[in-house]
Amino acid sequence: MTRSGILSRLLSVYGLLFFAFIYAPILLIVVFSFNANPVNMMIWDGFTLDWYRTIFGFPSRLTESTLYVESTRQLYAAVRNSLLVALVASSVSTIFGTAIALAVARYRFRLRSFYRAFMFMPMIMPDIVLGIALLIFFVSLGAQLSIYTIMIGHCTFLISYVFIVVSARIADMDDKLEEASADLGANPWQTFRRVTLPLILPGVVGGGLLAFIISMDDLVITYFIAGVDSTTLPVFIYGMLRRGIKPEINAIATIMLVFSILVASAGLYLRARRK
Amino acid sequence: MMVRGTLKWRQAIALLGLLGGPTLFLGVFFLGPLVIMLIYSWLEPGLYGGVVWNFYHLNYGRIFGWANTRYEQFDPAYLRIFARSIWLALCTVGLSLAICYPAAFWISRQPEWRKNLFIFLITLPFFVSLIVRLFAWVLLLRPTGFINQALMGLGIVDQPLEMIFTGFAVVLGMVYIFIPFMFLPVYASVEKLDMAMVEASFDLGAGRWQTFRRVILPMTLPGVIGGSIIVFIPSLGNFIVPSLLGGAKVMMIGNLIEQQFLSARNWPFGAALSMVVMATVLVLLLVYVRQMTREDRAVAAAPEPTGDMR
Repeated sequence: MTRSGILSRLLSVYGLLFFAFIYAPILLIVVFSFNANPVNMMIWDGFTLDWYRTIFGFPSRLTESTLYVESTRQLYAAVRNSLLVALVASSVSTIFGTAIALAVARYRFRLRSFYRAFMFMPMIMPDIVLGIALLIFFVSLGAQLSIYTIMIGHCTFLISYVFIVVSARIADMDDKLEEASADLGANPWQTFRRVTLPLILPGVVGGGLLAFIISMDDLVITYFIAGVDSTTLPVFIYGMLRRGIKPEINAIATIMLVFSILVASAGLYLRARRK
Repeated sequence: MMVRGTLKWRQAIALLGLLGGPTLFLGVFFLGPLVIMLIYSWLEPGLYGGVVWNFYHLNYGRIFGWANTRYEQFDPAYLRIFARSIWLALCTVGLSLAICYPAAFWISRQPEWRKNLFIFLITLPFFVSLIVRLFAWVLLLRPTGFINQALMGLGIVDQPLEMIFTGFAVVLGMVYIFIPFMFLPVYASVEKLDMAMVEASFDLGAGRWQTFRRVILPMTLPGVIGGSIIVFIPSLGNFIVPSLLGGAKVMMIGNLIEQQFLSARNWPFGAALSMVVMATVLVLLLVYVRQMTREDRAVAAAPEPTGDMR
């Protein structure tokens, strides 16, 4: 075999190792969430669905279910908070982000390049800096930390993500269509409703989905600005991990994994098809 | 004249409608908190948490070396934590680059449909919850974790190795969660690499190493630098990874900041620490943007190569 043949063979082996590195740890969680060993969760001891049963509050053989009831209720509350925050924050930031993207792309004004640079700031800002800045801000204003402070906090950085996704879509768009619409006598609002909006809609939906996922997953900023009874799912799991690792975390993690992979695949698939 | 006037008005109203809400929101809830944090970092910490509204420069003094001589000696512990954070972030950048660079070359040589599939597979983990991905490494690295169980089961070691709560574990965890950030920019410039240039270099008698150093590396450098910065920034201020995989032994600046807010309750000092993190990030970005625009200008100013150059 020639030297370059060996080299490309080596590269392929490396590629497989690369994907193993990315996916093996995730697969491990899924596999061991069905492990029946209650003492050491990393030694396989037969198949069970008990951990899933536990987190959904059904009686199971393995755990003292009396001990677990409270925790299940907290888990549900955390899931509900996460969904609520993600829904509100992603909707608001989709509107704001799209508005800025449209203004920057369609109008010439003095602060245009400022806006364009400024929209990257919240993304670049390290999470912890934004988190504690928001904490100081809310506390010094005397605001009670709650689910609403989390929603506001998430919007500050989600707007940037929506802005970038929508801007990319507008850049791909043919602006002659808007001109044609104006030439044919449509007023600006009609042009926006009938021409611009349908054209940028895939970008808006994609940006909103991205914002939703990022909001669901945010840990650092939420950690600082969540009130006592407004824990979200990632903060709840972080707390569980710090108290000690229990096998039911595997089951929760697996469900989250399936959920986020489904949402992300749907989003990426839609984007690929629309192109 | 009239028409142009109304057009201008219309535009101004449309702009106000589009930008008014978001600008107000970001002004109050993004810039506002940053300004208040800046102010806090120059205030005196109160006795039982809280602040006293006096100008006070010793929050920064505690970090950089002018301590409050009445109560304490200057302790370089904070500088040491800061230096360690920079070191671990640099290690993260180096290791993730070393992992992603060859992978980018491998993927860029695949047929089109496979390329798309592979890039999809690399971006997918970005959407998987961060805490879930880190949890996987806790399970792998713990003394009773998967790797130790496997090694002991195979009889390679008879005592669990200490892998978790080390600097290595922290770097590994950060590399794992930031791989998509490094891969995508590096891949973008590897993909653009003109193979004709590489062949030309070989034809002109350059060896493998020379070709890599003189042709391939300079041409992929923008992606490498971009990826490095995108990975460095979240690594520097990270506190979730060191708190789960570093424990009390490997403390980074993020953990120090968290402590000031949630246990030590010295908010002004915590605010000063995060100002330092923010300043580092901003300086880094400024240098990067400067460099990029200078390069662009250099490219634009360079004379077009013409056929009759001797």
